[in-house]
Amino acid sequence: MEATATSGAFWLRLIVGLVIVLAFSQLNALFLVWLERKVAGHIQVRLGPMEVGPHGLLQTIVDGIKLVGKELITPSRADRKLYALAPVLVFMPVLVAFLVLPFGPNLIIRDMNVGLLLIFAFSTFSVLAILVGGWASNNKYALLGAIRSVAQAVAYEIPLLLSVMSVVLMVNSFRFSELVMAQQRIWFVFLQPVAAIIYFICATAETNRAPFDIPEAESELVAGFHTEYSGMRFGLFFLAEYTNMFIVCAVATSLFLGGWHGPFGFSFKIPGVVWFLAKTYVLLFVLMWFRWTFPRVRFDQLMNFSWKVLIPLSMLNLVITALVLKIV
Amino acid sequence: MGYWKDIVLGGWSLIEGMKVTGRALFKPVVTVQYPRKRLEMSPAYRGHIEFKIFPETGTHGCIACGTCQRVCPSNVIKVQGVKAHARSGKIATHYVIDFTRCSLCGLCVESCPTQTLKFSTEFELAGDSRWDGVVDLVLRMEESRS
Repeated sequence: MEATATSGAFWLRLIVGLVIVLAFSQLNALFLVWLERKVAGHIQVRLGPMEVGPHGLLQTIVDGIKLVGKELITPSRADRKLYALAPVLVFMPVLVAFLVLPFGPNLIIRDMNVGLLLIFAFSTFSVLAILVGGWASNNKYALLGAIRSVAQAVAYEIPLLLSVMSVVLMVNSFRFSELVMAQQRIWFVFLQPVAAIIYFICATAETNRAPFDIPEAESELVAGFHTEYSGMRFGLFFLAEYTNMFIVCAVATSLFLGGWHGPFGFSFKIPGVVWFLAKTYVLLFVLMWFRWTFPRVRFDQLMNFSWKVLIPLSMLNLVITALVLKIV
Repeated sequence: MGYWKDIVLGGWSLIEGMKVTGRALFKPVVTVQYPRKRLEMSPAYRGHIEFKIFPETGTHGCIACGTCQRVCPSNVIKVQGVKAHARSGKIATHYVIDFTRCSLCGLCVESCPTQTLKFSTEFELAGDSRWDGVVDLVLRMEESRS
């Protein structure tokens, strides 16, 4: 029967994909934490981690071991079930998003026709997880951090989706492979520069990175929503943040930077997955560059920037795109 | 038109900021891996005061006159000296400074008639007790020689 054969291949693909995704997300987080500290160090004209391993390469592994060794504290009168659930909840959508990311022409675990929608639908879960974690902690700072985070996520989700929509209008598909294939000759960053910039700003805000790191604002709110989390529960939040960073940059790569294609149709005989990862990590580096350059925005500035600048601009961009597509 | 101007100028200022940090990324680092590598201290560095050792005599030139003790605004210097015999000058036997209360004004260094005081380049001054900041310069000099 043909159906069983395809379902067998289907399950194999899914299981192999899951294993790769789990391994990759951990390794990626290990590398990014190390890179973040190195970039921070060199931007501040110092070295960053140097002690453990050559150029501190083993530093994050040691940090991870330290985190595992720490006691898991549950604050008194916290909502125990929700409190324990939040770190798991924050990591779940991250794994789902990897399902549809197009690493290469044949390196998509599931090439769904709603791939892009799936990522954005599930990325909302991390907001929920932050709210649950902050609320269940029985701590005013955590709750305030969580509430601010939700307000921020709601505000920045709108221009994010609007800017992505203008690309989707051009390709007429949510399917990642088609979105990438449409950019074989020219990347969308040249056709939709405004959308690309808005997407990247919103992605920074969505991943709670500086200058939009309102949820963890350590100088104002202790540590925001994860104030009460210790040990590996905190580690999961951290891991999710870094994996989320990878995901938004991977989506930016496949929407605006041509995914697995080389520039202007030249591939230089380099495999697509290398192109894809290289572009993604360049974007990740830019995210880190942002973090160590810009001061944290005030909360009213944050809201004003989204509602008064990003949303009108992305709306305008979408309308112009639609008009141009209709006329041409 | 302030709206568009704000966006353009604000965006440009962000790029300027990124240029600054981008350049810093490729500058040589200024920190050293401290316990293993140390920097040469600047001669202008003001650590606690210390005896100069004169090459002619091979020792300090403190005559225990007590000028530094009198001029010190924080009152942290205590000098004791003895006369070797009736007609010789005094030589310091104890020169105790409580560096924890020193304000590093340098009046003692300036006023020393034999110019035997100088600032040391000592910077690792962490201690377990406040008595760790009390230094006997005579003792210190003898220890550093042996």
